[in-house]
Amino acid sequence: MNLPPLLSLFSEALFDTDRDRALQLVRDAIHQGAAAEELIFEVVIPALEKCVTDLEECEELNLAQHFLTSQIAADVTEELLPRFRVAPETVGRVVIGSPHGDLHTLGKRIVVGCLRPRMIECADLGVNVSAERFVEEAENRRASVIAISAMMVHTARSEKGCLKVRDILRERGLEDRIKVIIGGAPFRFDDQLHQRVGADGWAPDGIQAVKAISRLIREARPW
Amino acid sequence: MVTGMQRLSAAFDGAAVDRIPVFCNLLDQGAGELNLRLEEYYSHGERVAEAQIRMREKYGHDNVWCLFYVGKEAEFLGCRKILFAENGPPNVEDWVINSLEDIPRLEIPEDVSAHPAFEETLKCLSILRREIGGKYPICAYITASMALPALLMGMERWMDLLFLGPAGAREELLSRCHEFFVKELTAYREAGADVLIYSNPFGSTDIVPMGFFQECSLPWIEKDIRAAGPAGVVYYGGTARINPVMATVFERTGIKGYYMGPFDRVREGKEILAGRALACATINDIALIDWSPEEIRMQVRKIIQAGLPGGKFLFGTCVMPLDIPEPNIRAMLEAAFEFGSLEGGNPS
Repeated sequence: MNLPPLLSLFSEALFDTDRDRALQLVRDAIHQGAAAEELIFEVVIPALEKCVTDLEECEELNLAQHFLTSQIAADVTEELLPRFRVAPETVGRVVIGSPHGDLHTLGKRIVVGCLRPRMIECADLGVNVSAERFVEEAENRRASVIAISAMMVHTARSEKGCLKVRDILRERGLEDRIKVIIGGAPFRFDDQLHQRVGADGWAPDGIQAVKAISRLIREARPW
Repeated sequence: MVTGMQRLSAAFDGAAVDRIPVFCNLLDQGAGELNLRLEEYYSHGERVAEAQIRMREKYGHDNVWCLFYVGKEAEFLGCRKILFAENGPPNVEDWVINSLEDIPRLEIPEDVSAHPAFEETLKCLSILRREIGGKYPICAYITASMALPALLMGMERWMDLLFLGPAGAREELLSRCHEFFVKELTAYREAGADVLIYSNPFGSTDIVPMGFFQECSLPWIEKDIRAAGPAGVVYYGGTARINPVMATVFERTGIKGYYMGPFDRVREGKEILAGRALACATINDIALIDWSPEEIRMQVRKIIQAGLPGGKFLFGTCVMPLDIPEPNIRAMLEAAFEFGSLEGGNPS
């Protein structure tokens, strides 16, 4: 199948946040014989990255666009995955959640949506997650990355949040196996804050989070 | 002695007094002033009023607040649990709307002023009016119709409904939130609040695309302000940038004050408003936690130098995090008083 025209049409649908059109394009392509694998890796992922780059260039990038593009990418991936000829190989594992005292859910949902097409397995631990649970779940699931979404200043900087996750990882000798990434509004206001709270990286949005998480998965010592 | 109210009035009018108005939005810090835990502090309006007055006297800024915490609005509409932290603002823990079926059941209080959740706020307002009314502006915080659902169902579910959900449920919820908004703003105005901060992240193109703003956000903003009137209202994007929408909002609503986000370009904002309304520029108060006093002084100078020419200018903060050290608060205010001085001439 000729994928470049489809990539262009799918990118437009993402840019316009038109979920129905995006799903229809993928369904039509499947009907015409396209393989689910090539649709994910040659259409969905490049379109997701192109969409965010285009939006950044025209200064139109905003929270709603992030939310909707990640949602569309997740929905399309969900529809395509069962059609894979061979079960897709997992690139890496991540546990994600909002830290102690933080009840916000939107940020981690955007990140989960962006990770889905990348074949990065992601366990959502929910909100108000203790540092101990972050580490235990990461260890039990042999995850390479703990992703923490902190939307408030006091939860971002709390000694019960990322700082404590770092302490526990150090105490248990897990720092080479499990990397920590953090995101959320306070980090956009202070791009040095992730270092102060002991994270290995941070990301201002879902697409950047995928890039940073992919890098951290490569850096972590395999289980 | 020039009062904060005189400074604010002069800024709205484009006149010069001793200096520009300086707003420092200290909320949770009040508990520390009274040596109380946040939950104890916010349980009594008298305490909030006392701390607001004390903090204004201590630091010398120009405003006080009758806002307790943002989640208070959810309590009016049925929220039964607020999560109090030791070191940060309280959060809504019990969502009022958990499914679309809850929307028709949402009850808007007939009389907001008589609602038990408003009782302590009214006490606070009454003390503030008695003690400093007319001298220092009393600020109230009112969430716009389009942003209020995020407090009732969480931001994620509201984004789902707003962008992907059934139009009927979305419009019904917005209509009810609008009804509440008008009653709440009216209640604050009647109780003596001078500055009504109209908080609407969905009125910023950092949150929604410009097309959505024009087609969906703006009509609800117009509806809110037409029903409640623009007197005393200040447009605020909840720390998000508002420069791209300020001209449109001004032309369509007549709102006379714009509280920009820390990432709005101040000079550009002044040019957009072109002397038609008050430009309120804000410092990045999350960075205030770790900046040195010298860095703070430099940042304040930069903001004020960009905003001062032409007058109609206010320097302010967003919601100051508890972690900001007291010397940093003082450094910011001292710099604002110094660089915002108008001694020796009219700003225009």
